[in-house]
Amino acid sequence: MAARADDGVFDPEGVSWTRVSPRLATVRRVGSAIGTLVPLVPAVLLAVLLDRWWILLLWLPFAAVGVLRQVVIGRQVAAIGYAERDDDLLVRQGLLFRTLVVVPYGRMQYVDVTAGPVDRWAGIATVQLHTASAGTDASIPGLPPAEAERLRDRLASRGEARMAGL
Amino acid sequence: MTAAPPPGPGDVAEPDRPGAPDLGTPDPSTSDPSTSDPSTSDPGGPADPGGPADPPDDVAAAAATGVRDPEPAPEADGTWKRMHPVTPLVRGWAVLAVLLFFVVQQRGERAFSPGDGGGGDAFGRFQLLFTLGLVGVGALVVAAWAYVTWRFTRFRVGEEVVELRTGVLFRQHRRVRLDRLQAVDVVQPLVARLTGLSELKLEVAGGSGSDVSLAYLRSADAQRLRRTLLARAAGVQVDETGEAPEAPEREVLQVPVDRLLLSMLRSVWPVIGAVALVVLVVVVVVTGEPGIAFGLVPAALGVATGVWGAFSRGFGFRIAASPDGLRLRHGLTETRAQTVPPGRVQAVRLRQPLLWRGPDWWAMEMDVAGYAGGGADDAGKETVLLPVGTRAQAVEVLSLLLPDPGCEDPAGVLGAGLEGTGRTHGWVDAPRSARWLDPVAWRRRGYRTTGTALLVRSGRLVRQLDVVPHERTQSLGLEQGPLQRRLGLATVTAHATPGPVRPRAEHLAAPDAARLLAEQAARARAARSSAGPERWMEDLAAASRGAAGATGGTREGAAPDAGGTGPSPVEDARPDVVARPPAPGREDAP
Repeated sequence: MAARADDGVFDPEGVSWTRVSPRLATVRRVGSAIGTLVPLVPAVLLAVLLDRWWILLLWLPFAAVGVLRQVVIGRQVAAIGYAERDDDLLVRQGLLFRTLVVVPYGRMQYVDVTAGPVDRWAGIATVQLHTASAGTDASIPGLPPAEAERLRDRLASRGEARMAGL
Repeated sequence: MTAAPPPGPGDVAEPDRPGAPDLGTPDPSTSDPSTSDPSTSDPGGPADPGGPADPPDDVAAAAATGVRDPEPAPEADGTWKRMHPVTPLVRGWAVLAVLLFFVVQQRGERAFSPGDGGGGDAFGRFQLLFTLGLVGVGALVVAAWAYVTWRFTRFRVGEEVVELRTGVLFRQHRRVRLDRLQAVDVVQPLVARLTGLSELKLEVAGGSGSDVSLAYLRSADAQRLRRTLLARAAGVQVDETGEAPEAPEREVLQVPVDRLLLSMLRSVWPVIGAVALVVLVVVVVVTGEPGIAFGLVPAALGVATGVWGAFSRGFGFRIAASPDGLRLRHGLTETRAQTVPPGRVQAVRLRQPLLWRGPDWWAMEMDVAGYAGGGADDAGKETVLLPVGTRAQAVEVLSLLLPDPGCEDPAGVLGAGLEGTGRTHGWVDAPRSARWLDPVAWRRRGYRTTGTALLVRSGRLVRQLDVVPHERTQSLGLEQGPLQRRLGLATVTAHATPGPVRPRAEHLAAPDAARLLAEQAARARAARSSAGPERWMEDLAAASRGAAGATGGTREGAAPDAGGTGPSPVEDARPDVVARPPAPGREDAP
């Protein structure tokens, strides 16, 4: 099976994607680094207590994954995009496993804007759209707070204008 | 969603001021006027069904406040009502049964114990008295609690909302808009059936536990209330005679018991059971330890319960079509009569297990917002649209839900969807490269869009066909994993409300998938703008005409007045269909 050229499956015609803030990459890198360093603590403790230095080697796989993620996160964040069309919102995510969700404004039931402590420190927030379907996974991470609020209000007003029951 | 009422004045569960001290008095006639909501035009609440209610007061109130609707059903006159007084007994019977069980068990043990010579000694008698006393006190406590709960449960049916107040310590006041009604069920558990009572369940799309359950009402009252609610939800103004007319219904099909049994025999469970039995016998013979068999008793019991449940639920399954929706009636011990208004079915799945191929039987399931949100105990009770039926029956039921198939050759398209492969009848199938990811069923995978719905077929051994009307699509998803990307494939998902049907068109050629996504978004948009959820009485006329035309007139008419006895009540009511004023916030997010 020859790999076909990327045929623009995830790039519908006439859609200009808006990228999310690169600060999301920073936040994710910090999180990933912390996650990578956590297993080091018991490894060091055991190595010191048992006086077996090779125990530290067990941490190497974690470190390798961590380094890989540091590299990939930048591209992953760059792959996130959203586009507001006249009647629907498009959200695109993922590098390896790519997803594209099309949510009509009229289907929107509510919008969430969330930001954790690290997000707030970095000045980003996540906007998530909910429809009556549990399958709709339309969340846009890494938006600057002003943009998140603008998007929220805009989605809400558009949803009102195009509301259809269920 | 709808279940969260906007806090109006007095909506917050205010304690019943004179009602609270009145708690202990067993006189049911002391109705407390403070429970009536001050925000509405209802000054008095003489709501006791059994007590000496005060009709003149009520009429005066109605006249004074200019209530136009002349009490279509006694339950729906906008005053606070209580459930039927027998409710506590029906609800508490389980507790009483458990208590009785303990007594019987104790007596039984004593009778069989060798030391007790016939109960002649004083100690035995004392023990018996003690037990009986304990049971009596327990029964009293249970009865008191049930009574208090019953006293505090009230409901009110207004023009546009249904309200339910429950709770003794933690009060709840739930208000449901009738135009958000997704389905109405009349449920009769066994005990309620014996006492002639029914539970009326109003389903709204609010996720788990969002339904309004009016339990229990007299069966006739429940039926009348269901009628009134559906008429009001449909926007039919009830005429001056008071009663909401029973919408005429036309029986579509019945599932015979023998077919239900045969269909269950043809499922995988008998095969699994037989294999398990053989394995068990072999194991017992080889090891020589029959004790192993007892280890499997729980599993066998579980399977038996499941099989019995399926049989009991599918027993006497009947489908009828009526203007206010599809009516499903079924159940052996617990009967359930469901009414799903038109346009409330979000998606349908037709399914044919391997062994049903000979007689060409099909089962159908549906997504209805509100049904799947119920607890686990309700799973499978409400979402079955047809437990087993012939292909013609399945197609007929489908045509009721989707009166206009929106394509040239509906029979051919459906046939290809049910058992076909390849690109016949406008179907778009998965490309050959999909065989690496789905070696068995890749030939079956495919989709077909018609003017009104998206059809997705799948399954080689267990054939499946999912049907989603365009205007019911919530959102669309496109997915592609690394392998799919290498093979030039992609998966399209149509997101429906939670339920058993989750349409996924897997492993399509990537350009096909992209095109489907783009076209489907446009089609769903167009379909939504032309269909409103509240106008189902208007849709009805067009729908029934479409159905008659679509199925080639195999039925002697799908029009609501199929009985042919003059104009039906609905036809009469149609001029009265009130296009409700576009109140602000009518369509707002629930």
